[in-house]
Amino acid sequence: MQDLQKIVNFVTKTNWLLFMGSSLLALMTTPTKVSLGVLLGGLIVAVNFQLLKKTIVNNLSPEVVSVKGRSLVGNVLVKYYIRFVISGGLIFLLISNHIVHPLGLLAGLSVVVASMFLATLLELTRLFFKEAV
Amino acid sequence: MEFLVGSVWAAGLAIGIAAFGCGIGQGLGLAGAMSGISRNPEAAGKIQVNMLIGLAMIESLCIYALVVSLILMYAHPALKGVIATVAGH
Repeated sequence: MQDLQKIVNFVTKTNWLLFMGSSLLALMTTPTKVSLGVLLGGLIVAVNFQLLKKTIVNNLSPEVVSVKGRSLVGNVLVKYYIRFVISGGLIFLLISNHIVHPLGLLAGLSVVVASMFLATLLELTRLFFKEAV
Repeated sequence: MEFLVGSVWAAGLAIGIAAFGCGIGQGLGLAGAMSGISRNPEAAGKIQVNMLIGLAMIESLCIYALVVSLILMYAHPALKGVIATVAGH
């Protein structure tokens, strides 16, 4: 359990670190539209992940799920769709009004996936070294 | 004109197929998690951590598909050239 919690904490921290790092790198090396894409895309997915984490932790903890007759529809599903519609609408506005460069936005949206990839790599390396010892 | 129609078709199919696959994936994941939690409520903590990672991963795939379909409709790299060609005729 502690290991799993550690992975989520790692992903959460790495999200923000990667977001800041990639935004700074993009601001220094790419045109304004691309860097704005990286910045806004990273912000959208990082906030999205935080809200998803909050929803799941608040509604699926052992104390909460054992309450009899409790429905998950209002708390999890409605919030999930509201979040998804807002982020979809934001991405639509950004692309349709040509505010950001699409490739920059794609790079920014990859922040969460990249941090999960890093977490997986880290765990795999740890596993291999543990087995080697 | 066929190019624009093709782009819109591709955009619609892209987000449709992606939403279909992501919906099935998330549904299966959530169903498995719920069934696990209802059988063993003490394991809810462990299950929710794994589910969080899985849901975020699947959701980002759907967001990628949304971006690709929006690019096909609003920011297609070849759109300017096609419009210039159509306007020239």
